[in-house]
Amino acid sequence: MIRLRPEWRRIFEARERDLDARRCFNCGTCTTLCPLGLKVLPREIFRYALLGAEEKLRENREAVYACLLCRLCEVNCPQGVKITEVIRLLRVYLAEEDLEVRP
Amino acid sequence: MKEPRLGVFICHCGGNISDVVDVEKVRQAVEGAPGVKVAQTHMFTCSEAAQQEMIRLIREHDLNGLVIASCSPRLHQETFRQMARRAGLNPYRYVQVNIREQCSWAHPHHPGEATRKAVALVKGGIARALRARSLEPIVIKTRPEAMVIGAGIAGLEAALGLSRMGIKVHLVEKEDRPGGLLRDRGPIFPTDQKGRELVEHLWREIHRDANIRTYFRSHLCGKEGVVGDFRLKICRDGEEKEIRAGAIVVATGARPHTPQPGEWGYGSEGVCTLYEFLLHLAEHPEEKPLFYRGRRVRRLVYVYCVGSREPAGEKARTYCSRYCCTAALYTACLVHSRWPEVTQVHLYRDIRSYGKYEKYYRRALGYGSVFVRYSPQSPPEIHPGGRLRVRVRDLLTAKQEIELEADLVCLVTGLEPVHSPELLEHLKLPVGKEGFFQEVHPKLRPVETMADGVFICGCAQGPRTAEESAASGLAAAAKVGALLLAGEVKREPLVAEVIEERCDGCGECVAACPYGALELSGDRVRVRESLCKGEGACVPVCPQEALQVRGYEHETIKALIDSLAEGLADA
Repeated sequence: MIRLRPEWRRIFEARERDLDARRCFNCGTCTTLCPLGLKVLPREIFRYALLGAEEKLRENREAVYACLLCRLCEVNCPQGVKITEVIRLLRVYLAEEDLEVRP
Repeated sequence: MKEPRLGVFICHCGGNISDVVDVEKVRQAVEGAPGVKVAQTHMFTCSEAAQQEMIRLIREHDLNGLVIASCSPRLHQETFRQMARRAGLNPYRYVQVNIREQCSWAHPHHPGEATRKAVALVKGGIARALRARSLEPIVIKTRPEAMVIGAGIAGLEAALGLSRMGIKVHLVEKEDRPGGLLRDRGPIFPTDQKGRELVEHLWREIHRDANIRTYFRSHLCGKEGVVGDFRLKICRDGEEKEIRAGAIVVATGARPHTPQPGEWGYGSEGVCTLYEFLLHLAEHPEEKPLFYRGRRVRRLVYVYCVGSREPAGEKARTYCSRYCCTAALYTACLVHSRWPEVTQVHLYRDIRSYGKYEKYYRRALGYGSVFVRYSPQSPPEIHPGGRLRVRVRDLLTAKQEIELEADLVCLVTGLEPVHSPELLEHLKLPVGKEGFFQEVHPKLRPVETMADGVFICGCAQGPRTAEESAASGLAAAAKVGALLLAGEVKREPLVAEVIEERCDGCGECVAACPYGALELSGDRVRVRESLCKGEGACVPVCPQEALQVRGYEHETIKALIDSLAEGLADA
């Protein structure tokens, strides 16, 4: 069960004026292009981030850190989402939580 | 009667006919038959070259009858009638025989039998052509006046459009104010103009217009007469009033579907339909923060396709109302821009923000609306309470169950038809399987109906946006203009006629006619030709065989049957 909390995204929005991940319409282009055979694929990670499914993101932190930031997905995203920016924001979020340094 | 001189032309249809039917054999079978002066085959009788040749032959041989054996009369009867007219032959002396759909296409594996049948049919056609009479179309003078029923956006636009063409308009509305579904509404897409202001604007123009008379709290309660000159009755507070008009525009609209209490949580506090929410927003446009009936709204959930696209079943609304996705997206954009703190979640099946309305989907995404796709097999469950709980399976995360809390659940419902038995009874309009009035063809004749002189527009013929309703209102006005401003309507003369010396005035036929085209005058029946549709319901009920339809006279039909039978026996 996912508890949907879209408000959670505001954590990111506070850092980055325009969290353009919300333009994502779930087409899955990123997933098709991803060179890493990840168990949890980029589209799904993005979906969790959009829904505010915090627990799911924590469960899948491996995938978030595995990303190569190669930008293959980013240059091909039909909605022009800056995907690597979002992945880095997610990493910052997870790291702060691990180190208990959340402001 | 003049000596019959017929021309018989048989078409190959470029092989469509001649690959199966031996057209030369058919030609030989009828050549030299009594009355037949010319018998020819053509590769394409409908081609201009073949028509010119036939015109030449008609003139050269002074033909007074014509039979063309080709395709269905639906396709080319009018083509060849016009050709006959060009050749100086009365068009009703032309008979079309269908040997394509009825012979070559129906019996492609039996060429011999198909040819036999073609011979018989052509002989039948000759029998008819020998007895054909010269007829002239029935001409009806038209009145430059029209009735528009319904004063919503479609009706208002139609009325104004008609008036601009110089046609007098009688605008009939059952309520006591104009505007229909847009009357109490705030901004509407795509213009962002307030529905209320749009209606006021149109109404001011109508009010100023001396060509338009409006009748509120009124409805149609009687129709007589014919296209071009109807005698209509409207009722208001039990009083009847007669209005004469050449055409009728039906713009009676539709109504938003409202779920039954309990369905989708409807009836519980915090659950409303999109239409109710829009009326609320129109009434409280500036209120901050956003409240709905005393509930502070921080999180707003839309559920799409409520009561639409239902699985087939009795009374199921299986159709898509097409405007509701865009309406919900537009509302979300409105809420995002006025109350940015409100989080909005859309539970949808498929987003149909067609054409340029796609911009509202993109805009809502950009504002931060969350979209969750559900499947009709597992629709969202809405649990009432202080904060509503909504559970849904998200197709975009492999059907994982999602739970969310909401302050307001907005059910995005479609439009449903308004049933008006009176209107159906008086206008005899065809109704489609969804319950809306049906046009002749959705693309080719979109505002015309099977009832002559009656046009439909707006949501009465199916759900649509305000923009589309206005456009169809104007389309109906244009069609009425084309009909009435010509000054006269021409109709097929193939109507019933009375053989005076046989009629004894028993009146059996008067009851049989569904169009009220027959009346007793003295001890004879009289046909009101402008009302008669030539369908022939009166013919078999007459005990004296005193009624017949022109072009299908008793003698003609008997001769046709005889020659069909002979044709089959001979071949």
